[in-house]
Amino acid sequence: MTAAAELRAPARLRHRHRKSSLFAVLAASSLGLGVLVVVLLVFSTLRSSGELVSMRATATAGLSLSQRAVAGDSVQAPYVGIAQVIEGSSAMAVGIADGDALLTIGGTPVEDVHGAWRAVGSLPNDQELTRVGWVPHLEALLGEVELEPIADAPGKFRPRLAWLPDDSLLAAAGIRSGDVLLAVNDWPLLGSQQSWQTLVVAARQGAGPVQLRVVRDGVEQAVSAEIRRTGELTLQRDFLAAIWHFVTALDEPRYPEHAGLSSAILGSLLVVLVTMLFAFPLAIGASVYLEEYAKRTRLTSVLQVLIANLAGIPSVVYGIIGLEVVCRTMDLGRSILAGGITLGLLILPVMILGCREALRTVPPWVRHAAFAVGATPSQVVRHQVLPYALPGMLTSMILAVSRAIGEAAPLILLGAFLYVNYRPQGLMDSFTVVPIQIFSWATYPQAGFETIASVAIVVLMVILLLLNGAAIVLRNRFQLRW
Amino acid sequence: MSLPAQRAQRMPIHEPVAPAVAVAAPPVLATADFSLWYGTHQALHDVTLEVPEKSVTAVIGPSGCGKSTWLRSLNRMNDLLANVRTGGAVLYRGTDVYGHGVDPVEVRRRIGMVFQKPNPFPKSIRENLTFPLRINGVRGRYDEIVEQALRRAALWDEVKDRLGRGALELSGGQQQRLCIARALVTEPEVLLMDEPCSALDPGSTARVEDLIQELAQRYTVVIVTHNMQQAARVSQHTAFFYLGRLEEFGRTRELFAKPQKKRTEDYITGRFG
Repeated sequence: MTAAAELRAPARLRHRHRKSSLFAVLAASSLGLGVLVVVLLVFSTLRSSGELVSMRATATAGLSLSQRAVAGDSVQAPYVGIAQVIEGSSAMAVGIADGDALLTIGGTPVEDVHGAWRAVGSLPNDQELTRVGWVPHLEALLGEVELEPIADAPGKFRPRLAWLPDDSLLAAAGIRSGDVLLAVNDWPLLGSQQSWQTLVVAARQGAGPVQLRVVRDGVEQAVSAEIRRTGELTLQRDFLAAIWHFVTALDEPRYPEHAGLSSAILGSLLVVLVTMLFAFPLAIGASVYLEEYAKRTRLTSVLQVLIANLAGIPSVVYGIIGLEVVCRTMDLGRSILAGGITLGLLILPVMILGCREALRTVPPWVRHAAFAVGATPSQVVRHQVLPYALPGMLTSMILAVSRAIGEAAPLILLGAFLYVNYRPQGLMDSFTVVPIQIFSWATYPQAGFETIASVAIVVLMVILLLLNGAAIVLRNRFQLRW
Repeated sequence: MSLPAQRAQRMPIHEPVAPAVAVAAPPVLATADFSLWYGTHQALHDVTLEVPEKSVTAVIGPSGCGKSTWLRSLNRMNDLLANVRTGGAVLYRGTDVYGHGVDPVEVRRRIGMVFQKPNPFPKSIRENLTFPLRINGVRGRYDEIVEQALRRAALWDEVKDRLGRGALELSGGQQQRLCIARALVTEPEVLLMDEPCSALDPGSTARVEDLIQELAQRYTVVIVTHNMQQAARVSQHTAFFYLGRLEEFGRTRELFAKPQKKRTEDYITGRFG
């Protein structure tokens, strides 16, 4: 047998290599998963924050957009309604009013609100004026509408323009009061609201006027009418201003472009502050007692098992405890203090476990050295063991606080509000937190709230990173440098 | 005075090992019928021994013979372990350190200890030396005390320019001398050393051994060692432990030259160990 053959692993041991390659595959796949998550995160962050910036651009011009749709017999299509025009805004100055329908932005026809914001987002030059087109609202376009029953279609009605205002675009096209609208671009017009919506969709089809068929004095006529108005607006995209508005404004449950996260951010920070002030000293005290002082008795081992089990209990259970004990028995109500204490209870077991692990990493010789020079047990803990263990304890605090700041369930149970239109001033105020705000926005049906919900998720992550960064700086400061 | 203490005083302790000890003053450190149990296992059996003052006493014996246990009992470091039970007495100046109302912290302040592995606190050199002062409530200028302790530990010249640097940057031998200096700042009467050179290289060992000789002029030193040459080099008296019992105690020169017991002879001649 040659030397090389001798050095080869015997057959019964070759599986070692297979095992290690299995671990390599696992490691690589988890790495790949991590990279994928980061890429998705960055992608969705860019996407949602980009849309937020466009939302703020239209909002700063004075427009609140809302998703509408026509569901008629002949036409089913979405369109962008203008839910609100802010008093004194540039949009009002060019003549856009509440209830109008937005047709084009910079020449791009917009079919839904996301399309509108995409169009704003892709404007080549947002510093200059952008031409927008819209259809005036029902009263401005059609005036007073009366419904005429159709003889051969019971339950269906044709719109008769009982009184057409003189400044209406239809009046300019030659249509008079008393005319009955039959069809636009060969789509029959029925009802009043539905007729207007059908006109909107028809106007969006091409750049030119729409072809109307009307009945005047019993005679059917074809009329070509321009029902679109245009004007120029500045739709300026300003990332910093948009983010700043988002984190400083209050919630607005109707218009996502005006909604902000400030009360939730403030609520989260205050709740986490209370949580830390409540849980950290308790966790340090409990872990020091269990590790340094407690004798190994039946009671302490039961205690340890209980703490380990508490760390695994679902968070809603802590919500019930918080509701019953903190809110009702301690009579703290649905206040920030109550929320903070409840979350403190939630993270306490995890923190105790983490702090105990940190204390266990303190080598016994540190204690022996301190005892040998005549330190009392409390001096040993205070001067040698705690400084040694503090970085590890801070690490467990980072993990626990990260968990606390992401919790919504126990606080919802506690009675934290879904909609808060004020900033909490003190610890006894009622509150909402960022995860609850995210949850709340995500359930809103209006388009745009899902976008600000995802931006809020990013904001939550940034807050988390800032808190963790601060904790890491703190930890490095305490870290023994030799 | 407690009963074991009285008995210890009455009892003739071997040969006249320390003739200079005055009859009136109680011996600085002694054990009387001292036994110790780890749970149900008895590690020490009725050890009676009087440590001669201001000299070096070496404790030798095979592994597991109880020599370290006995040493750690002298300043109650064994209290830190769970399930330890003792019988008999450890007498410091005639007082049983295990007696009722004795604070182990006070005992350890008077009976210093140096460990097998150098264990400076992971802090600066100065802080290592000021910590015992601070916790003992010593006020005033630490600098002089620090310098004096470092000089006595023969470390001053090597570290005087970097007292603010980390103690763990020092070499192993320097760390051990720092630990000795740390044990000295509280001005103990007795210095216990648990194999202080076993983690050091020969050069550092020689320095620490020289230091031990010097310290014996001021302090009563008890040193546990597994190295019989070291015991012969540094100590004036030697105790030989075997299976938790004190087999033989006497002047080092005599014990190594003419051991009274067969087992001692077997051990020091290397027949077992």
